[in-house]
Amino acid sequence: MLSRVADTIYWLARYMERTQAMLQVIRIYYQASQDSPHDFSWRPVLYSYGHLSAEELAATEGDTARVLAHLILDKHNDASAYNNVLQARENARSAQDHITRDVWQCLNDYYHAIRSEEIAQQIRYGDPMSGIDALMRHGLVFTGAVQNTMPRDEGYGYLTMGRLLERALQTTDILRIRWANNADSMTSGLDAPELRYLLHSLFGHELYLKTYRGNFNPDSVLQFVLHNSHFAHSLSSCLSRLSWYFERLRADSLPESYERLEFMVGRLANHVKYSTVSAAEPEQLNDFLLETRQELLDVAVAFGKYYFGRS
Amino acid sequence: MKEHALLHAYQEQPNVWDEMFHAEHIRPEYRSFVSAIENLPHAEMTRKDELAKKLFMSQGITFTVYNSGEGIEKIFPFDIIPRIIQHQEWKHIEAGIKQRLLALNIFLKDIYHQQFIVKDGVIPAALIYSCPQFLREMVNVQVPYDIYTHIAGVDLIRDADGQFYVLEDNLRTPSGVSYMLENRSITSRIFPDLLPKSNVQPVKDYPDLLFRNLLALGNRHVSDPTVVLLSPGIYNSAYFEHTTLARLMGIELVEGRDLIVHNHHVFMKTTKGLRQVDVIYRRVDDEFLDPLVFRPDSALGVPGIYAAYRKGNVAIVNAMGNGVADDKAVYSYVPEMIRYYLNEEPILKTVPTYQMSNPDQRNMVFERMDKMVIKRTNESGGYGMLIGSSATEEQMQAFREAITEDPRSFIAQPIISLSSTPCYINGVLQPRRVDLRPFALYGPGGIDIVPGGLTRVALQEGSLVVNSSQGGGSKDTWVLGE
Repeated sequence: MLSRVADTIYWLARYMERTQAMLQVIRIYYQASQDSPHDFSWRPVLYSYGHLSAEELAATEGDTARVLAHLILDKHNDASAYNNVLQARENARSAQDHITRDVWQCLNDYYHAIRSEEIAQQIRYGDPMSGIDALMRHGLVFTGAVQNTMPRDEGYGYLTMGRLLERALQTTDILRIRWANNADSMTSGLDAPELRYLLHSLFGHELYLKTYRGNFNPDSVLQFVLHNSHFAHSLSSCLSRLSWYFERLRADSLPESYERLEFMVGRLANHVKYSTVSAAEPEQLNDFLLETRQELLDVAVAFGKYYFGRS
Repeated sequence: MKEHALLHAYQEQPNVWDEMFHAEHIRPEYRSFVSAIENLPHAEMTRKDELAKKLFMSQGITFTVYNSGEGIEKIFPFDIIPRIIQHQEWKHIEAGIKQRLLALNIFLKDIYHQQFIVKDGVIPAALIYSCPQFLREMVNVQVPYDIYTHIAGVDLIRDADGQFYVLEDNLRTPSGVSYMLENRSITSRIFPDLLPKSNVQPVKDYPDLLFRNLLALGNRHVSDPTVVLLSPGIYNSAYFEHTTLARLMGIELVEGRDLIVHNHHVFMKTTKGLRQVDVIYRRVDDEFLDPLVFRPDSALGVPGIYAAYRKGNVAIVNAMGNGVADDKAVYSYVPEMIRYYLNEEPILKTVPTYQMSNPDQRNMVFERMDKMVIKRTNESGGYGMLIGSSATEEQMQAFREAITEDPRSFIAQPIISLSSTPCYINGVLQPRRVDLRPFALYGPGGIDIVPGGLTRVALQEGSLVVNSSQGGGSKDTWVLGE
């Protein structure tokens, strides 16, 4: 497979996964803003998905409709959902002969949806939840189309690895930012809403309830998000699947490239697997998450260097 | 007979050959089609028209117009009424194109080697050497099987007398073949069962024929030569066609940055390292192909590819330097070429062409500019031309000045009235002007022309410009079997 094509579809998957993750985070923040408007702030999300100056931030953060429009629809915000979808579609266009027609059509539909007046109206003036849900459904259709129509070849490998790598990054970031912003309540464990929001943001609330029978405590949540093997967004689960798909790539790789990446991915998976962090020590947790994040980025850079011909 | 309301409203134009009607009667090749649609209710025709549009949009058969940094999806307008050509007529066209292509190919071989045609005084040397598309770099380059014009999209028009004329040969990177294929597949959806009933010859073999020819050009001793399609990328207006052809042939679609030249061999960068490329079907123009030899600012090409080509380590389709045979001033010599190289009389007619570098002809054209089409010799796509009958005095004056300054870059032709054919527009049949672009494939085994082609339509009422960049559309083209 051409290096450029591999790069393109790997990033296509990353953009789509990122869009899905950020929409869910925005959705949960929006819910929180309606539940407890007094001690709520949009600041962390605005920092994560945009680059507003201090004045712009101050002017925007009080106005929920404006915040949502900026995060989701703003063409001038490079990190907005709109731009992610746009990028994903451009990537799909330039690798059209390596993805199936169905996958292309889903992306094309998604792109037309996020540009539509209907969604914009809903997010700005109507019920933003409906607007966000409609967009996320397109994301789900995309994932389904990939699952059901793509041949299980090299291309599928890059698509899946892009998705898993991005998901691991998102989990790490969401956990770190949520935890850091609510360090006190997270440690004491008395204020369950924060933990619930965290789990919701990672699509893990239902599974957590089933696993721990409604018993909310910070250590269990941490264990769950980092290590639960049934939870599709847990760090361990992302990394073990990443290794699995990477091993499938051996036959299509240069031996030296394969060895280099195999070492990095394996080390990272073990680093997470054998980590001991606890909710009682937020600083240690923060360091661990930052370290993990850096290693994930290193893996991404190594992919670029050894497989996608980036220097 | 025009009994049905839909047909009844149709107005034939005076002094224009109509493809479907002749003196109020339906031509024989259209009868089967007309009998199939004449009893359809009005609403059904409109429904078919809408279905066609929907199919184009949902299948992503679109081209993107980039405007203020934002892409806008457009469909290439499609008219649901097919253009139909009878068998005998097609045989004539086919023979004419084969003859022309054969002669043009020998001309290219000759002009880049011994230049007999110049030495024998058939074509003036000044005409060749003043052509910017004549590439001195191609002199004495051996191309595989001596084939230069692997793919040609010959533009034909039909004058009021019913004769076909060649307008352009398009020997560089002709486009539109994907629309020929897509138009046919759309027609089969909106008029179920009508194609087999009408004995329409299939066009679906095109990608297989092309791929067979490309494979045959690989000269490395391997069982499976690597063939790629080189595209300028997603911002090119024909990008849809590039992906379609690559997909239909199952070959890799590459961009310039995917290729690298090492030791006069071309390689593509893959996830498993470098892989040698044997044949390149390029859709990048000559001047952008190699920044070391042609335009140094080109980011679309591959540095060193010319040298690899010259050494015979890679085949490039179409060959470089074909533009000299596409030059509109050289065009007028094609009948002479046919006589000189093949010792035959030309089968297809050419439009009389006046060289603006000839003072007598220039003065004659200046006097009757309103009856002329003025064209730049090296442009296509409907750019750089003036149609005298619809031009203002200022526009004519601007052309007169430009011609006086650089006469070699212009030619003039009398205005040929393109034939018309009914189009279904706003619920009624209206006459619109059309041309015809069949696609010819020249391979080591000979020339193949898929029975069909792209019929382009000037959708503006009364317009004679069919180019898609100037608001043209297209139709499915049926060639009937025996």
